[in-house]
Amino acid sequence: MNYKAVIIGGSAGSFQVITRILHSLPPTFPLPVLLSLHRLKHIRSGFVEALSIKASIPIVEPFDKEQIKPGRAYLAPANYHMFIELGNKIALSTEESVNHSRPSIDLSFITAAQVYREKLVGIILSGANRDGAYGLKKIKDLGGTVIVQDPSECQVKTMTEASLKMTNVDHILSTQEIIKFLQNIKTTAP
Amino acid sequence: MIRYEIGIVETRNVIKSILDTYGYDFRDYALTSFKRRLEQVIMNNGFKDADGLISRLSGNKDYFDLFLQEITPETTEMFRDPSLWRTIRDEILPDLMKGGPSKPKLWVSAFDSGEELYSLAIILKEAGLLPEVQLYTSAISDKVIDKIKSGRIDAKELEVNEANYLRFIGKRNFSDYYKNENGQTILDTSLIHGVNFIKLNTVYDSAPGGIKLILFRNQMIYYNQILQDKVMYQLSNSVVPGGYLAIGVKETLENTNTSNKFTVFNDLDKIYKKKTT
Repeated sequence: MNYKAVIIGGSAGSFQVITRILHSLPPTFPLPVLLSLHRLKHIRSGFVEALSIKASIPIVEPFDKEQIKPGRAYLAPANYHMFIELGNKIALSTEESVNHSRPSIDLSFITAAQVYREKLVGIILSGANRDGAYGLKKIKDLGGTVIVQDPSECQVKTMTEASLKMTNVDHILSTQEIIKFLQNIKTTAP
Repeated sequence: MIRYEIGIVETRNVIKSILDTYGYDFRDYALTSFKRRLEQVIMNNGFKDADGLISRLSGNKDYFDLFLQEITPETTEMFRDPSLWRTIRDEILPDLMKGGPSKPKLWVSAFDSGEELYSLAIILKEAGLLPEVQLYTSAISDKVIDKIKSGRIDAKELEVNEANYLRFIGKRNFSDYYKNENGQTILDTSLIHGVNFIKLNTVYDSAPGGIKLILFRNQMIYYNQILQDKVMYQLSNSVVPGGYLAIGVKETLENTNTSNKFTVFNDLDKIYKKKTT
């Protein structure tokens, strides 16, 4: 499969995993990486900087309607939902919280699935609620590839276990294996 | 979370039906969020599908007004982005009060569900300026105007509002501004006593003029580029030279055709100042 984007959802216990993944991607990583992570909603700055310290690709908190480009990571801004809009753009929303979360992983995943369909990789990491489980199922239903972090490795298993319950996933992987998968990913880019 | 979903064709059918019947133009709303709102409306009202919504909308003006309320995302938080409200209080209000004898006009121009208006009224009251300004607010639906006038807010948001007010560092206690009646939280409606309510359609073609401060936060996110340009053009004509325009912290004027009419006043809180020439 030739992929067009990777989307990752995580909550409690996912920060270190994300940091390791972003550190291990080649600087020439050929796809955009969309990050929908639960975070403190009133703290606007610091998160992207913390993730950037060791990352090998640039990480941005996108503005509304920002064009999505390969080789960059897009972190859902504090207190906004992050949708993927037709035309390969980010669209933000201040609508009510979903699963007590804004950003909601479900909403990011569902909208990404509708835009990228089978050319999307969805990954659910450690987390303390069920947000993301339904979104991961939507990615799978529309033909995308779905991966769940091995719950035995997760600091908090709720999110990964909820995802496994709802979807027959393609892979259950350790952080190291997720990294390997992404390093070997095939794309439509030349 | 199992959701009802509609397709893009059905979404466009609803939009066309509303335009034909009522003249409200949603064609340039951002597709993803508008589609999602429609799905929400269909689910909440128990309609069978998009056609069910269309047939309910046709020839039912009362329901259309309710639909306008449902389709417009709620603001959901008072004092969202506390630093913005501090900047308005500490830097902008003193500047606004400098001009001549006429009361400065302040306009909450996004389709607010009341939170932005009450927040602004509270900081004006704490500065002793509430009687010294003219407040305008716009709404798309009569039901929203009634709701704002009634002061009723969602009790589950109370904690967030209170936490935001604490971060804003107001002069009083947030609890001074509301009371509880039978489990319902009601804001002090005397705060918005003199407010002028303006009913507007989706393209803002009857916007008021001579405004010194416009709050238009987190509404452009629901537009595509075409509508962003159209509405920003209207708003840029509403605000006086030297006046202020605040948009959402993750919105930008950079990609609109009116960006050259403004300079950045505060980048963190996305406040712009209209150029004088």
